[in-house]
Amino acid sequence: MIGISEAQELTYDQRIDALRATKMRITQEKQQIIGSMNHDDWGLILPPADRREIVQTMSASGMPITDALIAGFQVQSNHPSGGFFGPKAVGANYRALLEQHPVYIDPVSSLAGGYMANFMSYRKPHWNPDLDFSFLHADQQKYGLGSGIGAAQHFCHDLTIGFQLGWGGLLNKIRRYREVQQSTVTDQALLAQKLDFYDGLESIVLGMQNWIQRTADEARAMNKSESNPQRRENLEALADINTRLVTEPPKTFREACQWMNWYQMAARMFNGNGALGRLDVLLQPYYERDSALGILDDEEAIFHLACFLVRNTDYIQLGGPDENGKDTTTRLSFLALEAAHRLKIPANIGVCVGDEVDPDLLRRGVEIMFEDKCATPKFLGIDRTTEGFMRNGYTSEVARTRAYSGCHWSAIPGREYTLNDCVKINFGKVFEAALQEMMSDASLQPSTETLFTLYARHLRRAVATIAQGLDYHMEHYHQVFPELFLDLLCYGTIEKGLDASHGGVEYYNLCVDGSALATVTDSFAALEQRIDRQKRMTWHEIVRHLDENWAGADGEKARLMMKSIPRYGSGGSRADEWAVRLSDLFTKIVKEKPTPNGFNMIPGLFSWANTIPMGKELGATPNGRRAGEPISHGANPDPGYRKDGAPTAMAVAIATVQPGYGNTAPMQMELDPGITKDEGGVDHIVDLIKTHFDLGGTQINLNIMDAEQVLEAHKDPSKYPDLVVRVTGFSAYFASLSPDFRQLVVDRILTEG
Amino acid sequence: MEGVIFSIQRFSIHDGPGIRTTVFLKGCSLHCFWCHNPEGIRPKPDLQFFPDRCIACNECVRVCQHGASILVDGVMVYDREKCIACGECVDTCYSGARVLAGKTMTVDAVMAEVLQDRAFYETSKGGVTLSGGEPVLQAAFSYELLRRCKAEGIHTAIETCGNVRWEDEERMLQVTDLIMMDIKHMDSAKHRWATGAPNERILAAARKFAATDKPIIFRIPVIPTVNDTVEEVTAIANFVHELVAIRNAAGGDGEHTISLELLPFHRLAGDKYRSLDIDYRARDLKTPTKEHMMMLTEAAQACAIEARSR
Repeated sequence: MIGISEAQELTYDQRIDALRATKMRITQEKQQIIGSMNHDDWGLILPPADRREIVQTMSASGMPITDALIAGFQVQSNHPSGGFFGPKAVGANYRALLEQHPVYIDPVSSLAGGYMANFMSYRKPHWNPDLDFSFLHADQQKYGLGSGIGAAQHFCHDLTIGFQLGWGGLLNKIRRYREVQQSTVTDQALLAQKLDFYDGLESIVLGMQNWIQRTADEARAMNKSESNPQRRENLEALADINTRLVTEPPKTFREACQWMNWYQMAARMFNGNGALGRLDVLLQPYYERDSALGILDDEEAIFHLACFLVRNTDYIQLGGPDENGKDTTTRLSFLALEAAHRLKIPANIGVCVGDEVDPDLLRRGVEIMFEDKCATPKFLGIDRTTEGFMRNGYTSEVARTRAYSGCHWSAIPGREYTLNDCVKINFGKVFEAALQEMMSDASLQPSTETLFTLYARHLRRAVATIAQGLDYHMEHYHQVFPELFLDLLCYGTIEKGLDASHGGVEYYNLCVDGSALATVTDSFAALEQRIDRQKRMTWHEIVRHLDENWAGADGEKARLMMKSIPRYGSGGSRADEWAVRLSDLFTKIVKEKPTPNGFNMIPGLFSWANTIPMGKELGATPNGRRAGEPISHGANPDPGYRKDGAPTAMAVAIATVQPGYGNTAPMQMELDPGITKDEGGVDHIVDLIKTHFDLGGTQINLNIMDAEQVLEAHKDPSKYPDLVVRVTGFSAYFASLSPDFRQLVVDRILTEG
Repeated sequence: MEGVIFSIQRFSIHDGPGIRTTVFLKGCSLHCFWCHNPEGIRPKPDLQFFPDRCIACNECVRVCQHGASILVDGVMVYDREKCIACGECVDTCYSGARVLAGKTMTVDAVMAEVLQDRAFYETSKGGVTLSGGEPVLQAAFSYELLRRCKAEGIHTAIETCGNVRWEDEERMLQVTDLIMMDIKHMDSAKHRWATGAPNERILAAARKFAATDKPIIFRIPVIPTVNDTVEEVTAIANFVHELVAIRNAAGGDGEHTISLELLPFHRLAGDKYRSLDIDYRARDLKTPTKEHMMMLTEAAQACAIEARSR
């Protein structure tokens, strides 16, 4: 609170400034202590210095990270490996963590609480070694598969359930259904499993109640020693609200935000959950009620939302159709955007764009994007994802209830289990296997068509391996690290005594993403042009160059030759045709049949931030890419796809490769801030976004970045501590990223030629 | 039908309303010394050479049959005098050190590219702009291209300097929705000094355009030493005001269909001049400041016309 006198009363905007300043201080502390953070900017706060332990571990998305633990807290193992597995142990350990979790209250904020640890980091090992899926390893490695086995969260709960029941109501529900199961289930082994599950659920609710009660007590204590009248009043309100929320459901808008804050923080801490869903729809009843009572004005509503967003970088949908197709955009949708606009920190808010959606929401989103240059919001082609999802056999009513809730994905809140963004196929590795087979089989006459035939065969095998892995996950995940926290707010989990990953919810649609589309597309097109058609190189020569990583005789010339073809994204080229062909092939194979156990799979094109690790395990590719360099980004063409870098060309290209079943193939777009100064600049971007979706596009991640500034920040990140970029589906402080992740962003804005 | 094109730019948002594709036609009847597109001046293809990108693979030496690329003491030497810009070497120059400015394209080929962004034109009320060079110098080709666009329902615009046969300009009017024209100076002698041609034919064309009902935007590049004073801009603005009166007298709405736009000089074309071995006489000129542009815009507005600057 530098520069503000002790007795001063702050306006809401001044309080938001103070929240941002605190956030910046915490972020810089995290950068110093845990180093690079190549993931979305969690609202995590470091434990106090005397309760902090730094460890190397694995993120919820499976990336190696440095993390801070709460010193002194130790989990109880129930397995010789040292791990803890199954609902009862997981629940008990999480309860213990919650009960020992330090209390955090920012007296400026209208919402109490702050989370300081990733429960996932206490899981050692992550997977129960008794459950052996090594029979899949060879093919998983061969095709660079992200199998999804052991992946947590990545579906969406329904906060409505929590808003209606509160923690007390949830506890009663768990106890009630435990009794129901006890009196109806006769199979003792099955009953024991269910009772373990209820024990786990009950433990986490009790842990939450403890954490909230201690926070309320702390607010009361801080209130007594607080001299500033405004802060004293705030602390008193926090004490009252949180005392109530230990058991009661929220009544007011502020209480609903506070309840949501607890749930979202604890879900994030539990297993990295970042899903939230339709914030505007969820909070609308409270906003309406309080506004009608005259106890809430818009400025206050914006402030509560900002207090929430500063603690939670969750994935949020604004606007979009309700189940009957009626747009849900309300005044509150705009207030949520406004809260992000005033905060100017990383946020993951998606605004819906569609035929029936209020067009002002898109326009306001673009205006904020222009003004803040904080990569917020993102844009959701809601009509296309809805139509796509219906192609899996769902009605429009069901399809419309899917809500945006993660990097590139949606799920039906509380009713659908998805493993979104957890399952990846590296097309580059599939391509590599096909090329290797073609060149080592003397009976084959090498040609691009032969290669494509082999590629299709290897891709089918990769998808089959994925399908087997998914079945394995679905059979066993609940025994390892069940979804407990998200189970609380699902329909059917508590009722049936089943984890969401194990039959607790109604719908199962498992996401399967392809990566390296442009890398492989341009490779096929280059081979076809330079070898098959122009005969400027032989198959054996290209294989030599790839083996030598373009470093042998004439290597650089060969590399440039392969690279300088009309590439995917140039428009109307052979590469553009190859991209459609490869995407269609992938979609066809994924949709051919469900997994052996009958789970529906939904294809998408998205690499998340895995472009770096997936590139590291891939040798040189015929598109001129060197071994180990990142693969192409999602469905995007590689930078330099056209001399004019026309975003319309990119938008057309990406619209043509959409798998089209409700999973997305986002467009990642970088624009120069020059456009923001033009008269009509907002219109151009609004039109660009709308047209991409009209053409079939599903999602847009947009950065407005000044190339010079980003280059400078790359050299010395400390110069621009508040520069926010959308790395992929998520946004982060540029200064929090490791050098190779920063390079990834830099490469996208520097086109060649 | 074929034309010589040196660039097609999609997502063009500075050459007329909405999102557009701008087709740059090669060849110009002026030789403005600051030209931003020097590769568009000569009617025939030009070979651009960017030595920084050369990886010394000497493929160009191997394929050149005109003695324009030879090895001297093992180093490639390029002789522009001998080069006929046939493009053989460009096709094998994988590093992009050699670029052919100017490609013969059929109307069909250009249309194929133009139509790729059709959906964007429709949403944004954009379209296609012919620029250059001077597109009206390739009158038959430009006419056919614009006609095809109109047949597809696409909004059309041309950027012309007016220094061409009026019959050709007049023909374009049948297939053009928007005229963008540049006037560099009201004094014919100074105009000739700056652009290589006097301005009488240009001003006459402007008057004739004014007598039609086509919207016109006069786009004035503000070039230090040429036309960056209040007096010079005012003289142009007064002329535009006269044109407004001409249109009104012809029963049109001059105030709302004729406007003026001032574009500041920038120095981004230096690399292109070097790649063509052309002396860049504007290299020492400075970009006018925002304040200066504002002052000139106000001077133009004072002449009772709609004026703005970028």
